[in-house]
Amino acid sequence: MTPTLEMVELRKSYGKFVAVDGVSITIPPGTVFGLLGPNGAGKTTTLRMIMDIIAPDSGQILFDGRPRSREDLERIGYLPEERGLYRRMTVLEQLTFLGELHGLTAKEAKLRGTAWLERMDVGDRAERKVEELSKGQQQKVQIAGTLLHEPEVVILDEPFSGLDPINQSLFKDLLAGYKAEGRTILFSTHIMEQAEKLCDHICLISKGRAVLAGELAAIKRREGGNAYRLVASGDLDRAGEVAGVDHAVVDADGERARLFLTADAVAADVLRDLVGFLAVRDFRSEEPELEEIFVKAVQNAA
Amino acid sequence: MRLKANPKKTLILAKREFLVRIKSKGFWIGTLILPLFMAVLFVVPALIFSSSTSKLDVVLVDATGRLGDEVARRLAERSDDPTRKIADFRLTVEAPQPDAEAQRAALDARLLDEDVDAWMWIDQAGLDAGRVEYRARSVSNTFSQEVLEREISAAVRKMRLTEAGYDAAAVQGLLDSISLSTVRVSAEGSREEAGEAGFLLAYGLFFLLYIVLLMWGQQVLQGVLEEKSSRVVEVVVSAARPFELMLGKLLGIGTAAFTQFSIWMVCIVAATAPGLIATVASLPEDVQLPSISPLQAAYVAIFFVLGFFVYATMYAAVGSAFNNVQEAQQLAFVPTFSIIMPMFFLLPVINDSNGALAVITSFVPILSPILMPLRIAVEIPPWWQIWLSILVTAAFVWIMVWLCARIYRTGILMYGKKPTVKELLRWLRYA
Repeated sequence: MTPTLEMVELRKSYGKFVAVDGVSITIPPGTVFGLLGPNGAGKTTTLRMIMDIIAPDSGQILFDGRPRSREDLERIGYLPEERGLYRRMTVLEQLTFLGELHGLTAKEAKLRGTAWLERMDVGDRAERKVEELSKGQQQKVQIAGTLLHEPEVVILDEPFSGLDPINQSLFKDLLAGYKAEGRTILFSTHIMEQAEKLCDHICLISKGRAVLAGELAAIKRREGGNAYRLVASGDLDRAGEVAGVDHAVVDADGERARLFLTADAVAADVLRDLVGFLAVRDFRSEEPELEEIFVKAVQNAA
Repeated sequence: MRLKANPKKTLILAKREFLVRIKSKGFWIGTLILPLFMAVLFVVPALIFSSSTSKLDVVLVDATGRLGDEVARRLAERSDDPTRKIADFRLTVEAPQPDAEAQRAALDARLLDEDVDAWMWIDQAGLDAGRVEYRARSVSNTFSQEVLEREISAAVRKMRLTEAGYDAAAVQGLLDSISLSTVRVSAEGSREEAGEAGFLLAYGLFFLLYIVLLMWGQQVLQGVLEEKSSRVVEVVVSAARPFELMLGKLLGIGTAAFTQFSIWMVCIVAATAPGLIATVASLPEDVQLPSISPLQAAYVAIFFVLGFFVYATMYAAVGSAFNNVQEAQQLAFVPTFSIIMPMFFLLPVINDSNGALAVITSFVPILSPILMPLRIAVEIPPWWQIWLSILVTAAFVWIMVWLCARIYRTGILMYGKKPTVKELLRWLRYA
């Protein structure tokens, strides 16, 4: 059973600078969870605290409902933002070592390492030193090292930054497979479109605080407000005067507009009024971009 | 952070450190270079000495007429003297001629023609003043001059004694000096033994430890920095505690160091054993050989291993505080100095191996790894002192590893930033 990962009131400051300021997040099992926010928001610090690389000043990290122990970390695969491998070891030695460190026997680790290298198409590099590999090959070894022990939870810090396009799609396929197996994936990114495509749960972090968290679809529904896309011919400028419409933004072509309804408006009533003077071809609720939601949430929090 | 380590993880980390080193070319080059270097250091001078048998051509003008033959006889009798390999002479005694000035000029000319290497002039005026003139193209061959001085002095002494009416041989016998015949009394029985044996043993031990640490201290320092400089640190530290990482590192590097050391020891024993056995066999029964019992040897070995770790942790501490070798190098003198420190206590402790200073220094971890085996070799101290010393030293190593881990953990993510002493102290309180 994949465990639930929880953070309760995590806090970490460096001198006067507060990096993480009371963050509480619950990551349900089997989800792809995106930790979003601009650079310096506290994403990496949060992930490092989960991995016990830095100790929180206060707060708790729960794994399956109890405080996270060192042994639990063996069930997590961690890809840090700062990538790195031992330069003077061969690729297979490296993977064997990492596997052993995560609780595999030496024999098992070596077997899996070999299999992973084949799977990543770098099987012929097994006996080479890491420093002799190309950057892209090193990335493959790094990914293999993260997933080698088949962790139930995968924690990835800015996983796609610096990856070449081939490795990016390779990695995305791997993660899709992991999700299908019911494992939990927690990753941080500052690129919203990426999160939008991959996540089903998100948490937005800004200046060390969680400003918004939950299921992505629900957030969109909730935060979307009452924006509607209207495609019609006629005098679209008059649409803004209809009862229940807060304001309308008409596109340059005069055929499309975005209508923002007031909070208590009923879309069906608005549409009936619109049909009265426009030849409506399309009228639908419009999902907001994650980017917009984020900006709004940060503004509200401030 | 706790003082406990998961033995399995520690062992995995130690294995990695050990294998990476054993498999590197540098290890084997280092292992072979030292014995080669030592061989060159011992063999080459011996070869040089044994080949330089060219004799010094010396002319002796004896104006007194009573010394020339005696000096020539004494120099000729030196055939069994080992120093002949370094200083050997072909002495020609010439009679003084009426025109001393002309003779001196002629001798100087022969010097410049390289017909002779040196000439000496003995006359009564010189003897009264205690001087003999020595003229040569080069006067820097002090060793040869010392031999000449000694032999001429002996000849002069004999001449003076005889002329004063004494029996020179009898007087010589009366003036014979004595030397202490040292006997060490211990529970295992008394035996004659040279006083220097214990000192030599301890000094040898210090020297070996010093060489091993000179070669391996840097390895420890750089090893501690390796994860940080290759940025693999986050993955490793999330899978193993920094304390386990430090411990594993020291154990792995230490095992590699002791492997190299064992290879050297085998080489030394193999190279010297035939000669040593032959020498011992040819010695008369009553000759004094330094002896240590198996128990003493075991204690000495324990302290050797502890000593390695005591000083290795010093290097580890420096490595923990910094993020790159260049910065760490600036503080590398601290561990080096801590190895030399016991040297200052060597003589007082050896002279009074159960005195207050000796006992106190046995419980100071930076000093004990060198000074305790010294005491053990000289005169075995009370067992409680030995074991307390072992305990204190081992505890020191353990605490140092913990301290390193603490500094390490706090400093890990300070990429590119050099810590101040104030920050280091704060890191020890936090983390």
